[in-house]
Amino acid sequence: MSTLEITNLHKEFVDVYTGETVTAVGDVSFGIEQGEFVSILGPSGCGKTTVLNIVAGFDTQTSGTVHVDGRAVDGPSPERGVVFQSFALFPWKTVLGNVIFGLRMRGVPRRERDVIAQQYLQLVGLEGFERKFPHELSGGMQQRLGVARVLANEPAVMLMDEPFASVDAQTRRKLQEELTGIFETKRPTVFFVTHDVDEAVFLADRVVVLSARPSRVSEIVTVPLERPRQWRAALDSAEFRHTVTYLTDLLAGDEPGVPADVDRA
Amino acid sequence: MMLDAKVRRAQRRQVWAHRLGRNRLFRTLGPFVPVVLLWWIVAEAEVFPSAFFVGPDVVLSEFGELIRKGILPSYLSDSLIRLRNGVLFGLLIGIPAGFVVAMSYWARKLTWPLLMFFQAIADIAWLPIVIVWFGHSLTAVTFVIVYTIVFPLMISIVSGVEQVPRDLVRAARSLGASRFRVFTDVIAPGALPAVATGIRTGLGYGWRALIAAEIIIGASGIGFMMFDARRAGDVTHVFVGMIVLGVLWYALDALILAPFERSTIQRWGMVRTAEVAR
Amino acid sequence: MAPPPSVSRPGTRLSRRLKATFWFFIPFVALAVVWIITVEMTGVAMRTFPQLNDVRDAIGDLWSTGDLFTHVGSSLRRVMIGAILAVITAVPFGILLGSNRWAAAFFSPLLRFSVALAGIAWIPLATLWLGYGERAVIFIVWNAMFFAITYNAMLGVQRIPTELWRAARSLGTPRWRMFGEVFLPGALPNVVTGLRVGLGYGWRGLVAAEVVATSSGLGYSIFQAQQFYRTDVIVAMMVIIGVLWLITDRALLAPLERRTVERWGMKAVTA
Ligand SMILES: Nc1ncnc2c1ncn2[C@@H]1O[C@H](COP(=O)(O)OP(=O)(O)OP(=O)(O)O)[C@@H](O)[C@H]1O
Ligand SMILES: [Mg+2]
Repeated sequence: MSTLEITNLHKEFVDVYTGETVTAVGDVSFGIEQGEFVSILGPSGCGKTTVLNIVAGFDTQTSGTVHVDGRAVDGPSPERGVVFQSFALFPWKTVLGNVIFGLRMRGVPRRERDVIAQQYLQLVGLEGFERKFPHELSGGMQQRLGVARVLANEPAVMLMDEPFASVDAQTRRKLQEELTGIFETKRPTVFFVTHDVDEAVFLADRVVVLSARPSRVSEIVTVPLERPRQWRAALDSAEFRHTVTYLTDLLAGDEPGVPADVDRA
Repeated sequence: MMLDAKVRRAQRRQVWAHRLGRNRLFRTLGPFVPVVLLWWIVAEAEVFPSAFFVGPDVVLSEFGELIRKGILPSYLSDSLIRLRNGVLFGLLIGIPAGFVVAMSYWARKLTWPLLMFFQAIADIAWLPIVIVWFGHSLTAVTFVIVYTIVFPLMISIVSGVEQVPRDLVRAARSLGASRFRVFTDVIAPGALPAVATGIRTGLGYGWRALIAAEIIIGASGIGFMMFDARRAGDVTHVFVGMIVLGVLWYALDALILAPFERSTIQRWGMVRTAEVAR
Repeated sequence: MAPPPSVSRPGTRLSRRLKATFWFFIPFVALAVVWIITVEMTGVAMRTFPQLNDVRDAIGDLWSTGDLFTHVGSSLRRVMIGAILAVITAVPFGILLGSNRWAAAFFSPLLRFSVALAGIAWIPLATLWLGYGERAVIFIVWNAMFFAITYNAMLGVQRIPTELWRAARSLGTPRWRMFGEVFLPGALPNVVTGLRVGLGYGWRGLVAAEVVATSSGLGYSIFQAQQFYRTDVIVAMMVIIGVLWLITDRALLAPLERRTVERWGMKAVTA
């Protein structure tokens, strides 16, 4: 049994202005194993964020099921931590305050949570910044904090929605490498949404490709790269380039504008 | 399918709720219906003695009575004329003065602390000396309203001019605009949201100053009517006065302030820096 | 060549401070000079406008007789009680409304209506319900502040980015703790604004209510002076009222803003 199990997920939005329904997610099924890193890739507007929101419990599906560790998802919960594109750090809490937030909510005693917090701050390289406020950190540091905040809570799944989309290209590379490093040491289960093919391949064990709307899983590609991973080595490796090329072609053949995309649900 | 029908029904409900919520009239007036109803029930049940609390039916019939006798229209027009005069002079003085202080380094340096201080002297505190100067007259009321409007307006304009992006000024200069044209075409329109905010703040205070002046100086006007009724222990007139004042402010907002803001600020896609209740 | 990085030596900082203070007081000095000369030249009677030293003497008298402290004391007490009551009632209420879409939609027009009326317009009703006296005045101060704070707190909660709600919920925050962990700090910029606007109304409401409802306080004494054409006392009182407001603003609101909203790098909502 997988840690995260998505079965026949279907989501319709009502356009409240026109009264028409829009199918954001057609029929999506896949699973993520314990300690596995899975990237979700797909054209813009195909419903990646929608799937993530449903898994996170922020939104409810029209039909289909989502199970985490065998339990049906019902609203947000600390077992499904979310790293946001916009960081979503609490501006009124210090770096430390943000990291221990989830632990405090669970009632972990102060001494214990400070130890845990230190451990995760070290993991993401933010030791020494405990007393700073989020606005005093760079974008890259803010997102490291976002990751630490979720991992400190030890969720069953970590959900990430284009977490590196709002940092500059160099920092992004660096953060990606750091994330693989963290993944390799901690082995969390990760659900990673992106539309950057390189990123998806570099980070993931498997890449789930969604088709344009009404979306379904068009293919699940296993990434043949060894861990630990590094950009330099990845760019040199033929497997990496093959996988990227393969996925790029797959996405290109599925761009909006192809008649199959027209949705008259 | 059973589930499907349920989903469709929920979707239809969502659309209807949205349509209702978008209807301005329903959105603004709807909430008053249950409130008035509740008011009526409380009055009918005589939770409070009727000398302190009367129902909407009583207020409405008294309202009709006051209109028939011509008292309400004449008081209302007195109040409105005072407000109009005060606002008019307030804008005539406050807008140019605000821009002068905002644009001139020396004017700014020499007046800014004074502005802060005069803003701090609550307008109502001016009433006594104004009464000494002008007696219990229209001039006294107008003076106080002008005072209440000028200072918030000037301060808003200064901060509005400061918030005009420097790049806009530079862009205009490098496109060949003279200093004067930069002012008329970039700075003045750019500061407009602040002017709107300032007018709103000023009116909020001016409006209260008017009521206070009428209560304290008191010879006519809605404020006077309410306080006079209070002295006579007539709660109905007090209620009528408060409702008239509330409706008046709503009308002022809906017919003058909001359209002004809409036609300038929102049309240009500028958002007011802060939506603040006043 | 690039200019050298500016080093702030203690000496230059002190002199900058001095300069700022100097420029802060210059306009007041200028005003005083204009005042003295104008009154001297036109020779207006004290019944119409006081000379500067008359005002100084009036303040001295108020001080030595102790009247100053009685009036300032009773006014400050009323404002403080009213303000505290307003904060503890309005902040939770506003946040509650802001955290529920339907409640916010329902109460918005009602609140806008009430904000317009708040304070002074309630004086007749308040004195009718509560009688002339302390309670009516405190009611007016509370009332003047309540609606402004409620409305702004509501707007503040509505302005908290959805991601922050979601982040807190998915980190395991129970619903009842959202209030203290997210809504209150998130709405604080607006709450401070509401407090500032509300205090402005409350202060004015206080002066007006004191005129009609009590026999002590700044509002009462300034209008008392008007009965006797004591313009020196009137102007002295006006100065005191101004100074008190500036102190409230600088000693209470500004530090509150600096310690919270600014420290957190959240944009303060300008009033
Ligand atoms: N709240 C909503 N109401 C109505 N339609 C919505 C809503 N949220 C999303 N949609 C629609 O659902 C579809 C999928 O949106 P979603 O944000 O999940 O796409 P995405 O794959 O994350 O896109 P991107 O890569 O650009 O982030 C889009 O067509 C969008 O317009
Ligand atoms: Mg998305």
